[in-house]
Amino acid sequence: MSIFFLHPLYLLGLVAASLPILIHLLNRRKLKRIRFPAVRFILLSQKRISRSYRLRHWLLLALRTLAVVFLALLLANPIFQTGAGLFAGGGPVSLVILLDNSLSMTWSADGNGFKQAKEAARFLIASLNDGDRAALIPTNLTGKEPFRLKGEKEVLFKELERIEIADGTANISAALTKAYELLNEPAGQKEIRLITDMGLTGWDQFSTSSLKQYDPSIPLKTIRTGKQQQPLNGTIKEVRLASQGVGVNLPLRFEATVANFGVSEIKDALVQLSIDGQNKEQKLTSIPSRGEAAVSFQTQLTQAGPHVGRVSLKKDGLAGNNAVHFGLDAQDKLRILVVDGDPQTSLVQSETFFLIRALNPAGEQDSSLYLPTVIIADGLNATSLEPYQVVILCNLSSLPDSLVPKLQNYLRQGGGLLIFGGDRVQMENYNLKLAQSSPPLLPAPLREKKLGPEAGGEKIDRFDVAHPALQGFSDPILLDSIKSARVWGYSRTTAPGKSALISLANGDPLLIEQKVGAGRVIFFSTSADRDWSDLPVKTAYLPLIQSLTNYLAGGKRGAMDPGITVGNPKEFSLPPSYVGKSLKIIKPNKQEVEVPLAPDKDRASATFQENDRAGIYRLSLPVGGEKESGMPLLYAANSPFLESRLDEISESELQAKLKPIPVEVISIDSLQQGGTRMDLALPLLGLLIVTLLTEGWLAQRI
Amino acid sequence: MTNDEKNYFDPKVLAGISNLYLRARWVVEGMMSGVHRSRSKGFSVEFEEHREYSPGDEIRRIDWKALGKFDRYFIKEYEDETNLRAYLLVDTSGSMDYASDGITKFDYGCTLAASLAYLILRQQDAAGVVTFSDHIEAFIPPKAKRDYLLQILHALENRGPGGETNVGRILEEIAGQIKRRGLVVLVSDLLDEPEKILKGLRLFRFKGNDVIVFHLLDPAELSLPFDGNILFEDLEELNLRVVADPRAIRKTYREVVEEFTSRMRQECHDNIIDYQLISTSTPLDRALASYLSWRG
Repeated sequence: MSIFFLHPLYLLGLVAASLPILIHLLNRRKLKRIRFPAVRFILLSQKRISRSYRLRHWLLLALRTLAVVFLALLLANPIFQTGAGLFAGGGPVSLVILLDNSLSMTWSADGNGFKQAKEAARFLIASLNDGDRAALIPTNLTGKEPFRLKGEKEVLFKELERIEIADGTANISAALTKAYELLNEPAGQKEIRLITDMGLTGWDQFSTSSLKQYDPSIPLKTIRTGKQQQPLNGTIKEVRLASQGVGVNLPLRFEATVANFGVSEIKDALVQLSIDGQNKEQKLTSIPSRGEAAVSFQTQLTQAGPHVGRVSLKKDGLAGNNAVHFGLDAQDKLRILVVDGDPQTSLVQSETFFLIRALNPAGEQDSSLYLPTVIIADGLNATSLEPYQVVILCNLSSLPDSLVPKLQNYLRQGGGLLIFGGDRVQMENYNLKLAQSSPPLLPAPLREKKLGPEAGGEKIDRFDVAHPALQGFSDPILLDSIKSARVWGYSRTTAPGKSALISLANGDPLLIEQKVGAGRVIFFSTSADRDWSDLPVKTAYLPLIQSLTNYLAGGKRGAMDPGITVGNPKEFSLPPSYVGKSLKIIKPNKQEVEVPLAPDKDRASATFQENDRAGIYRLSLPVGGEKESGMPLLYAANSPFLESRLDEISESELQAKLKPIPVEVISIDSLQQGGTRMDLALPLLGLLIVTLLTEGWLAQRI
Repeated sequence: MTNDEKNYFDPKVLAGISNLYLRARWVVEGMMSGVHRSRSKGFSVEFEEHREYSPGDEIRRIDWKALGKFDRYFIKEYEDETNLRAYLLVDTSGSMDYASDGITKFDYGCTLAASLAYLILRQQDAAGVVTFSDHIEAFIPPKAKRDYLLQILHALENRGPGGETNVGRILEEIAGQIKRRGLVVLVSDLLDEPEKILKGLRLFRFKGNDVIVFHLLDPAELSLPFDGNILFEDLEELNLRVVADPRAIRKTYREVVEEFTSRMRQECHDNIIDYQLISTSTPLDRALASYLSWRG
């Protein structure tokens, strides 16, 4: 029940209600003075009429004041309304209906939430009169939709039909800003109705400061869908890869975390893993109330390349997002050529002992993604580099003349080269062959060998975890491990410490990178074995070597991509030859979208915004561009984890969030039961006429 | 004759009076002796007195013997034989100094009194004038000399309106000073206690005088024609003031005035006093006509 005004500006006229009183007071101050002989007769007259005169006088003043009040109210045109509907009466209405189409609407009102919301929207549209206009805005909007107010009900009904549940979270700020933008222009009665399940998610991060525009004189009437009976409310929180890399014919382990948002335990829920649409493994699990449970899966991929994975949660009556999608890029084993520059008869003392163990800990061919082949320096001339994704030179004293062009050609085509230092390295030869070659294969010339006692070794101080080669090292355990290592011998380079991927405490670089064509070179300034540092015996050594190898082999191959959250943009970066072409994206609903690739520094890049559906998005590269090694051709988008949570925001919390915009929450039932809207202009006009007539009659009497 | 005298004898007014006079004289000449004799029998006594010379007196009437004795000019006056002694009592209190439009009540009263004196003296009757506020300002005893009019006019002109009204007490005082019966003409707005006024008038009647009351009121006093909120300040009592909306009280005011004048009229009638309520917008000839009607 409320009263609102069609033309509230006229309420300023209420100030004029003080005019009769002011005039009365001014008249008293501006008295005309007359010298008169028969004052005693005047006194006598006043005594006689005193009481009734004063009464009539004040009554007249009150009537005049009331007349002004009634006139101001009449011009402001008050409307008395009960219920939330728009019914007959009043002037033209400009209405914006915000329809919550976030994922949580799927489960609200026992699964009927979105249906109810649509019916309420239809009811509001049907209630519009001639001259009224309305716009329909889903809360999950991309911001590109051309919303406008329109008076054609049929068009609005069709728009309503087209709105579907989105897999993301409601973007309340954008929707509300758009609503106030639309209501900026028209005059007359302005209304905003938000039809929602009052799901907490979406309001979490909301504040009025995020609104680009709002008008506190236009209240937000919220129509809430029916409440659901405490359902089983669970979802899959996350799925992560528990094994090292994703390789063909290698054991692949996943760990899924399932969460229960409800107050009752979820018993015997079925958790299922499927790869490329095929069910691989399923398990039953129970999840405590407001708790989580972990479920592990193991499987194997037989083919290299992209795969799609899905973990789903199944249970009758379960409300909440039941599936998480992810992408897998399975790769064949990485062939790695390791050149040992200081071979020993004892395997343990070999320069490459720790390196090989890091690449293939079990020493079995089928147990690791990496397939290292160790040769000695003399074998380099006779070995073709083409079959190998990565070449690692360990403590090589000098480089044969024929190797340099070979390496240059190898690198141009996208190969990866990892060079370790060591006591045998002849710096002049390295500088001549690698640093001064064209293109240079070393980022900076070598200056001197620094070698001290083991006890006085330098600590690793700076570590660029943002670098793609070292991204896995944000884990504090690995970081602590690598920082505990000591380096007492290394080849000092002239490269500035800041450009290094890893630096020592004294500022000298430990790891530096150089790009050559499509390939990359990394120079590790200390030895690969334990001669110059204790890094090989640290926990971090294995993931460091594997990570560097992966990087040099061409990006994130052999990895799991958990994907993005629905509603977030996806960025793509391709070689510059793709500039001006378009990337084709096939959305989970089979819709195809072309995304133009624009130049960005030395790459072709694009950003795709319309990730509004949960599922797998497949990419199709345009013809004519060079094949980008490692570019994943699919990615997953998942609904926000918290969107499955069916907790609601209370009316008072909502009012606090939206302050200073007035908020009223109405149940959907009260909308359906209807309400009444009465234009108070006519009664006010009647009152005004009666007041004026009474005033006139009384004024005559006085 | 001064300008003021011209005011009192406005040609227009005098023309009106003249016509009335002609008609009155015809009535007087036909009925005068009988009426006068019967009314004033045994009071025809010659009377002579001296009075100081005043401008306008005829030089031939100066008593040269008295000049030799007192070294001052005195005029010898002779009382003509007359049948009527008229006392014109003119109220000169502050309340008379009011005019809503045109002539003040004071000017109107003086004009009226002067006209009456003129008429009376023209009829060979004795006319005197008393001006008063809360005390007697001037007392000119009635005489029947034709040139006595100048003295009467002088007394009327001598002093403007002012002071408070105390009609009742003044009437008692004047009644005490009038030794011989005659006609008492009271020209006043009667803004005093009605009881006191009537008491004084009754005293005149008690002594055998005929009494005519010319109750002068300004049209504004009768109708209260003002608009808007007004602070009314009394002309006589400075502390008497009141804020009023004339629109609101007009009807009641008129009733109050009507009650007052009705009461005066009724009481006068009961005491065989001729009462005339005259608005200062009324032409003077009508007021004089009422006197002639009394004479008739």
